[in-house]
Amino acid sequence: MSDDIYRPLRLNRTTASLQEEINAACRTDVGLCLECGKCTGGCSNAHIFDYTPRKIVQLVKLGAETTLLNMDSLWTCVSCQLCLDRCPSGINIPRIMDYLREKAVRQGLPARRPNVELFHRLMLDSIRKTGRVAEAPLMTRFNWASRQYFNSVDLAPRMLLKGKLKPFTVKVRKIDEVRRLYARSVAAKEDRS
Amino acid sequence: MMQEKTQTALVVGGGLAGMEATIRIARAGYQVVLVEKQADLGGVTGQLYSSFPRWEDPQRLLQNKLEQIERCDRIHIHTSTEVRAVVQVDGAFDVILKRQPGSVERQLRADAAVLATGFELFDASIYGEYGYGIYPNVIDSLEFEARLRQWGEGRTDEPLPQSVAFIKCVGSRDRSKGYPYCSKICCMYTAKQAGLVKDLLPQAQAYVFYMDYRAAGKDYEEFTRAVIEDRHVRYVRGRPSKVLPENGRLIVRAEDTLMGVPIEVEADLIVLAAAVVPSQGTRDMAAMFGVPTDQYGFMEGDPFKPGQSGERVFFAGACGFAVETQGAQYQGAAAAAGVLALFAQD
Repeated sequence: MSDDIYRPLRLNRTTASLQEEINAACRTDVGLCLECGKCTGGCSNAHIFDYTPRKIVQLVKLGAETTLLNMDSLWTCVSCQLCLDRCPSGINIPRIMDYLREKAVRQGLPARRPNVELFHRLMLDSIRKTGRVAEAPLMTRFNWASRQYFNSVDLAPRMLLKGKLKPFTVKVRKIDEVRRLYARSVAAKEDRS
Repeated sequence: MMQEKTQTALVVGGGLAGMEATIRIARAGYQVVLVEKQADLGGVTGQLYSSFPRWEDPQRLLQNKLEQIERCDRIHIHTSTEVRAVVQVDGAFDVILKRQPGSVERQLRADAAVLATGFELFDASIYGEYGYGIYPNVIDSLEFEARLRQWGEGRTDEPLPQSVAFIKCVGSRDRSKGYPYCSKICCMYTAKQAGLVKDLLPQAQAYVFYMDYRAAGKDYEEFTRAVIEDRHVRYVRGRPSKVLPENGRLIVRAEDTLMGVPIEVEADLIVLAAAVVPSQGTRDMAAMFGVPTDQYGFMEGDPFKPGQSGERVFFAGACGFAVETQGAQYQGAAAAAGVLALFAQD
């Protein structure tokens, strides 16, 4: 996991700067970590993570930025917030994950799970266009774009019958407001970078 | 009418526990002979720069005790003096004291004894890997207290360190070195010392290598967390295995056991929290007064009378086991209570 595989990780003044950056950007304090692992114990996807939530906090403290921006967990985390809910010190790990994902994308790093990134983008696009997560068109587009044409298709009839999938999408009434939100957040991002 | 109080107690060791016992026995109206090997009273407390969990000046505490001792004419202080021999006769002790310089001997009789002969730090040079005794910038915790005092009083000619690394469990919890026990006080005084680095040298980094931190005491956990969270001392979980010189600095190599990766820390000064072991005085007095000891040499009390061995011998402070300044005072007071109960029945 070392950023430089030829040498053990070394702690010094510079390694603390990632911690300071993340504490400030995420308005949280990884220094409060008790190293108890309750975040990982609660995490709904820890079994498929390469670095579990406790280790992610630890990597921040080690200043292992390259590892963090390239890890698989960045894309298998579903932001369920259980880690934050369980943390005795209230460390906002989901916000740290968001920050790291955004930073990885800004740096143009390839997502370890391209389909997850694709899904994120399509979902945001759906919200921008309709103000909703429109399941049926979203899944269609996702399956098409990811070339998994029959992915979960067998679930569709039952979901339609139960009213979980709507064949037609009705836009929210104030779609202009949604578009304005998007414009503002994109502008904010450009300001930051 | 009150009975005349003629008995005398012998207190061996003028550290905090011995001073506390002395004050309380004398205050009850009995004579106390306080014997101290060093030239001054105060023991290890006299070497400390600050205290946990309240960052108080231990010298003020000592000053308070000293004033009480000086005010009382029933206390007879013998500094630079050792107990040379003891003979127990008819419920009393015939004691021979030897004073340096000149080996002046003096004999006296005491009706009870309080042993408060304290501890010393394990000799860390037994560990080749930490470089104690090889690199001048590797020191033990008591030597570091003196360094803190120099920094605090602004009198030091040496360049100030940019980074200080603390290594806990040096000797303690190490079966291979013969000390499987936890020395109990190191977690707290190391937190204190690392916090003081950040106070006195705000530009410096402070790292503490730990297996776990044991903060079982009133305000101890809060104190340790404040050192980590507010003073930004970096705690690194792992027991260092090497100290290597590199470009005039020292590199501490360990595993970060939270990640399972080897890790290094750059340091200009390394402080070893060496194990608490019985002092030579503790071993000598245990043998002389017939106090049983455990396998490490700490005094052991009767199972139902902690701090007491037989009828007339009591002990207090770190000669029994590692103890904090506050605990040493409690134990000194408890020994005094034992002596007073005994004298009241005589």
